[in-house]
Parts: sequence; structure tokens; C-alpha cells
Amino acid sequence: MTTLTRQDLNFGQVVADILCEFLEVAIHLILYVREVYPSGIFQKRKKYNVPVQMSCHPELNQYIQDTLHCVKPLIEKNDAEKVVVVIMDKEHHPVERFVFEISQPPLLSISSETLLSHVEQLLRAFILKISVCDAVLNNNPPGCSFTVLVHTRDAATRNMEKVQVIKDFPWIVADEQEVHMKEPRLIPLKSMTSDIVKMQLYVEERAQKT
Amino acid sequence: EKTELPESSASDKKVVLLPCRNPPSRERVQLWLEARKQYESLQRGR
Repeated sequence: MTTLTRQDLNFGQVVADILCEFLEVAIHLILYVREVYPSGIFQKRKKYNVPVQMSCHPELNQYIQDTLHCVKPLIEKNDAEKVVVVIMDKEHHPVERFVFEISQPPLLSISSETLLSHVEQLLRAFILKISVCDAVLNNNPPGCSFTVLVHTRDAATRNMEKVQVIKDFPWIVADEQEVHMKEPRLIPLKSMTSDIVKMQLYVEERAQKT
Repeated sequence: EKTELPESSASDKKVVLLPCRNPPSRERVQLWLEARKQYESLQRGR
């Protein structure tokens, strides 16, 4: 058993790599399950040893990758409190918010031979929960779109500045209407606690979607 | 009104950010899908 701190070599990077890879799969799957895009653009792949649906639309894939490239430095520094996939109606009002609440321990106890497979098992459970979440959610109105919000601290935004310029992918402060939803119904989907990250996923669903 | 990303400061205030750009619209993606299907159908016909 080895104890590392956040300052040790690559600890934050490893966690950020794992989480961003997971978030990429999760975002594709949410867009498929909640029918934000036509099902024809999705192809079945295997991730975390389970089948998932991933988009093959180049522009959409690039958009998701650019988004997560910008979020990654925040996760690396433990500055991303929440990553939220928001599904919005035609009027750009949120109808569903998939909230990934993330926290990382300041100290890390590693049993390296079991660590990755254990985390993979935990993340697989999230993927499986997302893939069946339509059973507990109401249908969305036609013509929905999506965006990704990141909850962070003002001082941490400097960690994003460089990558925003490199990727030519600027970020702005969200409007109140993009962040909050009136009297949402809360649906907890999954939570996990591992040596490297704690995460919980819940959905906030607008009571009246149409 | 959306505001520019705040300048770096020592402030520890919580902020919520989102990409300035929008993802491709459903209509745009649908057009791409139809074009791809047509292309694949032409390829099969050759």
C-alpha cells in the first residue's frame, strides 16, 4: 500500500484522464438514451466491458472532446465540483440536468493492482444506470438540444484559459435560466466511493416538460 | 445577458461556466445522416 498526495507525480492527471474518458462515454450515452440526436448517428461500442452507444458524427464528437479538454484541467486540480449535462427545450429552458458531483480525496491510498479494475467496475455501474434511465424519466419534447455546465471557482478559471485558446473553444458564465430549474424532480441514479474519486450522479427533471 | 469569462483573481466565488459555442443542431445532424445514407446507397449500387 502506497500513500500519495495530490502533489505527487501525475496523480491529478490520472484521475482527470479516467474521469474525462468516463464523461465522454456518459455524454454520448445520455444523448442517445434521451434522443437528443437521431439514433442513426450512434454505433454500438464496448466500453467498461459493456455495450454503449457512441456517436459517429464528426462535428458532435469533436464538440464533446473539446468540451472535456477544457474541463480536464479543472478536474486535474480538483476544481470541478459538478459537471452537468443539460438537455434544453426549443426555448433553451432546461428540461433535464444530469449532474455528476465529483470530489477527490486529498490523500490517495493505492493498491495499484486492484485500483484500476475496481474503478472500472464502479464506472461500469454508472454507464448501466444511464443506459436504463429512460425508464424513470418522462419523454422530452421534440427539438431538444444540450449543453455542458461546469461548476467551479472563480479563481480556478485561469486553469482553463490556455486550453480555451489552443482549442479556440471559449467558455462563458452561464445565465441563471441555464443553471436553475423550477421545482425539479430529483432522481438519484448512482454513487461511488473509490480511493481516487467520489462521484454521484442524479437527474433533475422539470415537472412540466411540455 | 451572458458575460465574458471573469479575469483571474484571488476570488473564491463559485461560478458556473458553459461553452460559448453550441453543439451541432439536430437538424444539421439529421441532414448529415441522410447524406451519409445516400452516399452508402450509391456505393452499394456501384
